[in-house]
Amino acid sequence: MNDCGCDKAKRDLEEYLRNEVCRTEASDIRDHLEHCESCRSEAVLAVTLTEAVQRACQETAPADLKEHVLQRLRSVKTDHEASIVPSL
Amino acid sequence: MPSVVLERTEARVVDGGRDVLSTSRSALPELDWAAMKPIDDAPASDASEDTAAPDGSRAPEDSTTEVPEDVVETVEEALDFDEPVQPDADPRPLFEEQALPFIDQLYGAAMRMTKNPSDAQDLVQETFVKAYAAFGQFQQGTNLKAWLYRILTNTYINQYRKKQREPYQGTIDDLEDWQLGGAESTTAASSRSAEAEAIDRMPDSAVKDALQAIPEDFRLAVYFADVEGFAYQEIADIMKTPIGTVMSRLHRGRRMLRELLADYARERGIEPTRVRSTR
Repeated sequence: MNDCGCDKAKRDLEEYLRNEVCRTEASDIRDHLEHCESCRSEAVLAVTLTEAVQRACQETAPADLKEHVLQRLRSVKTDHEASIVPSL
Repeated sequence: MPSVVLERTEARVVDGGRDVLSTSRSALPELDWAAMKPIDDAPASDASEDTAAPDGSRAPEDSTTEVPEDVVETVEEALDFDEPVQPDADPRPLFEEQALPFIDQLYGAAMRMTKNPSDAQDLVQETFVKAYAAFGQFQQGTNLKAWLYRILTNTYINQYRKKQREPYQGTIDDLEDWQLGGAESTTAASSRSAEAEAIDRMPDSAVKDALQAIPEDFRLAVYFADVEGFAYQEIADIMKTPIGTVMSRLHRGRRMLRELLADYARERGIEPTRVRSTR
């Protein structure tokens, strides 16, 4: 533990990387990262993890799912119309 | 009686524009022109009524493009008195156009929730049906994606989660850090960059397995933040928790993920030193 800004940078790193800190704090952390290899490597690691999760979680819905959804929506629509017609 | 004629004529005007207008004029000489006043105000016919040739070649060419819009407007006004204007337009085309493109993303999230393709597909279908039913309440211009995810998450929690009882469910946020493992920030920068490289080379299946292995609330927080890029506030809305809880779940979830991935790398012999040499 030291007080060169590492504590604050590490604590708020995730928020910094996600643009969830205010502008002044962001610029503090950015400055710190420029000078601190340790925190910089932590930031690289955090970003790498995010990218790995993003990559792994790319999914394409099965081709017929869209069709099924459209069918369901259209049947909902039909019910809707059917319930309205008698009242006219 | 005149209104019937008016309706029929104007309907054709909307369809065909200037030519139809002229044709119907010559075809219906007994038409009540006073009732047609709004249409005579349209640019196409402006002040040319008297000079109009019987064959209908009277409107200036440059105004052609404006005719349909103006006519449609006046037709709606004209029809107002004896026939209700079409109620709310059918929302389905708009819904399909706006919501359906999110199907892959919603399916991806559903897969992380239900852990199997068949339940994930059911969940996505259910989500779209509910979203469509509630589409009238969706405020255009606000975040449709977040709105859909809220419905997805609600549906999942209400219908699927009950079946799946997770070991730490309900108390997971209360666990102390030491119970969740940890101790990463003492490692040196060099070993962190090695860890980053190992993660970077990790097969997708290993990352997915690790994600599936962490408690659900953590997994969803990580998924919403990392994969979908939702802001903390959006995640808080979707998961119906305070922002502080979102942050805590996200941090802890990611820390657990790191540890699981580090274990995987060790088991598979993806040694930091060896990885490091690629640098």
